[in-house]
Amino acid sequence: MPNRRFGFYLALPAILVLLVLLAIPALLTLFQSLFVVPDDGIGIGQFTDVDNYLFIFKNEIFWATCLRSIVFAAIFIIGSTLIGLAGALLLNEKFVGRLFLRGLLVLPWACPWLIVGIIWKWFLDGNIGLLNGVLMRLNLISSNQDFLSNPDTALVMTALAATWRQSCLVALLLLAGLQTMPRDIWDAASVDGAGIIQRFRHITLPWLRPALTVVTVLNVIYGLMQFDVIFAMTQGGPGSATTLLSYLIYRQFFIFTNFGVGSALAVALAVIALIGGLIAVKTLYRKIEV
Amino acid sequence: MESSETGSGLNSNLDRRSLLTAMGVAGLTTAPLISSSMMSSADAAGQTINFTAWEYQPDTIKSLVKSWSGKTGNKVNISFIPNVGYTAGIQARQRGGKPADVFYNFAYNSQKFVNQKWAADLRGLPGADKMVAEMFPSARSRFVAENGAIVSAPYFSAVHMLQYNKKMVAAAGFSSTPNSLQETYDQCKKIKANGVASPYVAYWVKDFVEEYLHVYLLAGGVKPFDNKGDPIFMDDPKTLEVLEWWQAMYKDGMTPKSVLTDDPGKHTTSIANGDAAFYALHHYFLRDIVESKGSASADIAQAKIVGTGGKTLQMGEVIQMGGKVSGKKKAAAWDFMKTYGYKDSKGEFSTFQKWAASGALCAPYPGFFKDPKVIAAFPKYMDLSLIQDTFQNSSDIVPARTLPWYQGFQAQCGTVIHDLLLGNSNPRATANALAIACKTAKSGSGL
Repeated sequence: MPNRRFGFYLALPAILVLLVLLAIPALLTLFQSLFVVPDDGIGIGQFTDVDNYLFIFKNEIFWATCLRSIVFAAIFIIGSTLIGLAGALLLNEKFVGRLFLRGLLVLPWACPWLIVGIIWKWFLDGNIGLLNGVLMRLNLISSNQDFLSNPDTALVMTALAATWRQSCLVALLLLAGLQTMPRDIWDAASVDGAGIIQRFRHITLPWLRPALTVVTVLNVIYGLMQFDVIFAMTQGGPGSATTLLSYLIYRQFFIFTNFGVGSALAVALAVIALIGGLIAVKTLYRKIEV
Repeated sequence: MESSETGSGLNSNLDRRSLLTAMGVAGLTTAPLISSSMMSSADAAGQTINFTAWEYQPDTIKSLVKSWSGKTGNKVNISFIPNVGYTAGIQARQRGGKPADVFYNFAYNSQKFVNQKWAADLRGLPGADKMVAEMFPSARSRFVAENGAIVSAPYFSAVHMLQYNKKMVAAAGFSSTPNSLQETYDQCKKIKANGVASPYVAYWVKDFVEEYLHVYLLAGGVKPFDNKGDPIFMDDPKTLEVLEWWQAMYKDGMTPKSVLTDDPGKHTTSIANGDAAFYALHHYFLRDIVESKGSASADIAQAKIVGTGGKTLQMGEVIQMGGKVSGKKKAAAWDFMKTYGYKDSKGEFSTFQKWAASGALCAPYPGFFKDPKVIAAFPKYMDLSLIQDTFQNSSDIVPARTLPWYQGFQAQCGTVIHDLLLGNSNPRATANALAIACKTAKSGSGL
């Protein structure tokens, strides 16, 4: 059997699963976004052309929420990538307790997003939260801060909570990438007089580029689709300070039971995520030239 | 009022309250006749009921179900969905073709579910009219739509009460709890001056603050919606006073700044440990406060939110029957619902007796409060007669809260009220924004 055909057969189960679980619902969502879907969910309803899209694009709430979602995602993507990269570099070095710390990396990732939200809600609590306690002891604040009830800090704090979990996955993926890097390249560069920053810039970073591309695309998706952490920590509040597009979609589907508009919002979010993912790939993906 | 949404075929001149009263009288007199002519639950043994509930005291639910199954010979498959996300979960199952035969639901979803044929109209089922007739008149419209459809049975009912620290109120020089919203502010201010940083706590998070809108409007003597479900609060000058008071409570530090995102668990801890003097929420939270055994738990008592003059919000959630249940299964499902939300085959409030003991939950029936087993089961530190009096004389369910469009209003309410509290809006603009939220919810054009 030719290699290509054999490869196709191996991939076929995964392709079928993806078709059923992703492609069909995605197409259905796209389809529904052009209709007024009946509340009872029976039938597809009346074709409305692009009215659902016009409705959301003409609504200032949509644009404000878009901007908020992008800010949230930017904090999430940059934060989790940088923290994850730093963690991976650290855990790639030899020191006592390295294995234990590597094991700990899995713990946040093993927590469901909702639980992460609850943990961080207590951590940031305005009266008894650990963060306030630490900041007070370090004399960085003189009185307790209500991070989640303050519209100026709530979005950043919820993004940091999500970042905490995601940075562990990023660290794991990048650590795996680092461990495949031949040590002799690094050693040869040292012999040639390259400093630590030069070695990182010209050897480590290019080596990690494919892994970074995957990680960043994942971060774009997780950052823009984030719902659970927000739901657990602020329910989109105070006011609309943490209301993201995913929250609007939830409201349209399950509160207003407006599947047409909900689907249009979902398509809009998917397009934003797609653009974000493409930018990440375009910016980061290059062939390894080490 | 968009009566078409509820499928009303009744003469629009017929007053809703008159209709419900008439239903009560008719139900009490004709129910025995109707019951005898209808399908008996005894015909329905050997059925399997699929029951979906949220995860509040799952062991109690299992024991209630087991008890009913043992008595009737029917099987019940229980499926729990976490409280968080229950609405999405139950709707996904409906749309996915796996509807439950009997399920918990939030009252604000109940009429919508019947309209969408996801839940059954219970009219004509044996004892359904009697169930409604035995309720407090003020509670009936939660279960009966404008067109007379009986949309649900009670799962539990509660009234908003003021949990307060007796010692703190006395130390501030007050002989009684506040008799008005202004007095609430004044007492808080005095207690704050005595060293309690944030005297007042309440569950003002975005998704829940709508309940408080009604609690405070009713306390301020405002009728939020008319009998047709149209908003009238924005035309009442007292609404502005209520909103001004609410904003001042937050702005002047009578509440912790974190109140916009704090959970009931935190408030319970706060008042139980003497860090707050007042906690406004459902009556059964007194149980948590006392049983948490905080340093101030023994000092906490319960009062009506605005003394004897005003009203408070009566709330409760419901159980519904799936819209596709039929035949013998329907008889079995209804028998289960009656036992769960009304009386068992012996005519006892056996389910509510258990909920009273395990959670201090109430039922919207005057008979519940007179039941010796309920009285014995209810926590002794709670004044059951005060709660009964609040149900009977000092509370309103705000019937509009079960209308099909209402959840859309509720979803927008949080943002509007938070903007008021954060100082981004003034009372007049808030009243207008709430009216617009009603309008968009009714037209289904909210985002």
